[in-house]
Amino acid sequence: MDRRSFTQSLSALALTSASLSSSALQVAHSVVAKPNSVDDTRASRQTARTTVSTPLRLGLIGAGSRGQELVRSFLRVPGVKITAAADVYPLRFQQLNKVCGYEVAAHADHRALLDRKDLDAIVIATPLGLHAEHVLPALRSGRPVYGEKTMAYTIEDARRIVAEVAASKQIFQVGHQYRYSPWIRAAMARVAAGEIGDVTHVHAYWNRNNSWRRPVPDPSLEHLINWRLYNKWSLGLIAELGSHHMDIANWAMNSNPIAAQASGSICCYHDGRETDDNVQVILSYTGGRRMVFTAMTNNAKMGDQLWLYGSKGSLNLTLEDATFFYEPKKIEVAKVVKTGDGHEPVVTSASYSPANEMPYRGAGSPVQIKEGEDPTTAATRAFIYCVRNGERPIADEHVGLGSALAVVSANEARLAKHEVDIAHNA
Amino acid sequence: MNRHSSLFAIAFLFATATLAAQSAPSSENLYTQSHPAMGTIFTVQLYAPDTDSADRIMATAFDEIDRVEALLSNYQPSSELSRISREAGDGPVVTDPETFSFLTRSFYWSKQSHGAFDITVGPLLRAWGFKAKNGHVPTQAEQRPLRDEVGWDKVQLDPTAHTVRFTTRKPMELDPGSIGKGFAVDSVVALLRESGVHAAFISAGGSTLYALGAPPGENGWPVEIPDPRTPGSIASTFLLHDTSLSTGACTEKFFIQNGHRYCHIFDPRTLMPVEGVLQSTVITPSATDSDALSTVVFVLPPEQSREVLSRMRATQAILFRSAPGVPTCTVFAAPAHLCDTHTPSQHEGVRP
Repeated sequence: MDRRSFTQSLSALALTSASLSSSALQVAHSVVAKPNSVDDTRASRQTARTTVSTPLRLGLIGAGSRGQELVRSFLRVPGVKITAAADVYPLRFQQLNKVCGYEVAAHADHRALLDRKDLDAIVIATPLGLHAEHVLPALRSGRPVYGEKTMAYTIEDARRIVAEVAASKQIFQVGHQYRYSPWIRAAMARVAAGEIGDVTHVHAYWNRNNSWRRPVPDPSLEHLINWRLYNKWSLGLIAELGSHHMDIANWAMNSNPIAAQASGSICCYHDGRETDDNVQVILSYTGGRRMVFTAMTNNAKMGDQLWLYGSKGSLNLTLEDATFFYEPKKIEVAKVVKTGDGHEPVVTSASYSPANEMPYRGAGSPVQIKEGEDPTTAATRAFIYCVRNGERPIADEHVGLGSALAVVSANEARLAKHEVDIAHNA
Repeated sequence: MNRHSSLFAIAFLFATATLAAQSAPSSENLYTQSHPAMGTIFTVQLYAPDTDSADRIMATAFDEIDRVEALLSNYQPSSELSRISREAGDGPVVTDPETFSFLTRSFYWSKQSHGAFDITVGPLLRAWGFKAKNGHVPTQAEQRPLRDEVGWDKVQLDPTAHTVRFTTRKPMELDPGSIGKGFAVDSVVALLRESGVHAAFISAGGSTLYALGAPPGENGWPVEIPDPRTPGSIASTFLLHDTSLSTGACTEKFFIQNGHRYCHIFDPRTLMPVEGVLQSTVITPSATDSDALSTVVFVLPPEQSREVLSRMRATQAILFRSAPGVPTCTVFAAPAHLCDTHTPSQHEGVRP
């Protein structure tokens, strides 16, 4: 059973309500539906604007830059309060208090946070190498969990999280927020309807022109602040940037990859880092379909974008918009020639036309959407909706597993320097 | 309104200092980098020990500017301000503390200035063609709905619930153009201080500036104020130290119709462009405030501006006007010779 059919076969989760405040469980009917919405999917329901403001108390594990950004978004949801946070770097608590505008209870150990009885859900934004170590006990503590991508550092840990979600009957949402982007959802619905034909290739880029290194006030904090550059905590650019694109490729292909090839190197920043400063990944899907991801950190020309290719056209996805381009029609209706009438003679010529080989030059056909909301704002609101309503998130643990399979396998291929098969049953 | 973003010549002079450092260690070098954001070019100059550390700090600074732009842009539908503009007509919208503080400060200045400063002017700028760069005097039919669409008093903030609500019961168009760049500059300054930077100069398109510390061996970062009465000349030179300076002018954004020049800075109370004002400059410790106050001083009569500024600490202003029968240069909390002097005047702000 693939992820999608598995997901669709599930109805709302049977939540254990013990950990939720009673007010947090009141809900539903006061959700304001988008006017004239014809897309009554889970996504539109979960991301719909809400006026429900019953108190909901969050605990945050990992209050660094991404954790703080998530907090900004969560605080845009009525009723949400950040009650407690855990981090090993004390400065983070000061920064978090500033973001929240009030004092958040601080814990140096995440276990102390999970021991609290006054939390309705847990948000985890720690370095990748610690995800499973934090997600698994958070699920076992009997509360819904929002866990940042990539879901886990190893495939085994990713599968443990999937199993724990099932065992605990808890909600888990992974931080693949582009599943909630209005323009990407609108575009992907048209792709699913066949607008560009069957998607056979996805080419994705996330190129930047900076060292990916953050200022460190003291050398002793190097690994703590620049954890993305060290193997113990990070799978490098493949995970931190590529996991979003691989998730979208899985979405477009309606399946997870079956094999991965990858390479990478330290080309520009010989500064003691362990993770590569440029990577190239090829993911194989059934039927010979391919996804290609590249990231480099010394030239930002291509920026962050994906191209979905089908025999009828292409779709370009960016952080702000989506645009369709269409292939020239291959077959045109010829003039009907009556039997017995002669054909006009054809004049022979050189067959090559450079125009057919040139890249598209037109502006394309932008996807028009009414409300181009920030994907993280939409994703966090959707999570709170799921917590309050006991509904399975769009970006659930199976979405997280699919992306983790791609990321971890690609990293294995990079290290092994050969193609790695991706086992789907373990 | 949406004043300035004018890239007119507030010429920034950097003196290559070889003297012993006062604010920045003398072993540090000056690094400069620019970055497009908020419809203009942000430039950061800072002293750092080496290229690598400067590069890291610059990257962090420009990431912060991009983050604030993504929060406040009225051109990005995905920004938090755009979401509020879309939804607050339907009922109270909860927003994050940072966005709420931005709105609180914006409407604080609306109240202090009796409506001369107003971020709800989006429809006004649109009707006059300043958004589409096709400036024109709107028809009466175009002007008629503006009274109902513009007005800071139509926005209700609830500081307890952090909600925003429009009493119009319709979407409004919040435009951060006259305060957002200052808000971004203040955010970057806080970040640079946290990063241990001792001396830096931040420019948001030349119209909002912040001087953090001072270059080695100098008393401040020099900034020249052009004299709009004589194009190409300089009225004053300031040495800024831990303070901000913003200027509003109509030298870049304007249009001429039937021989009359219309400025993009509006008086939101009359819904008409300001007439007879050439340039306003305000020096005050917060870039958010200097950005907003340069519009306040541009729009209000000088006696009312004086009242507003009198409640501020470490704040000065200069206003140039061209209307007949009024002084061409007015100073606020500053010596009159600033209108015509070239002697550097030192201004120290307040370190947070």
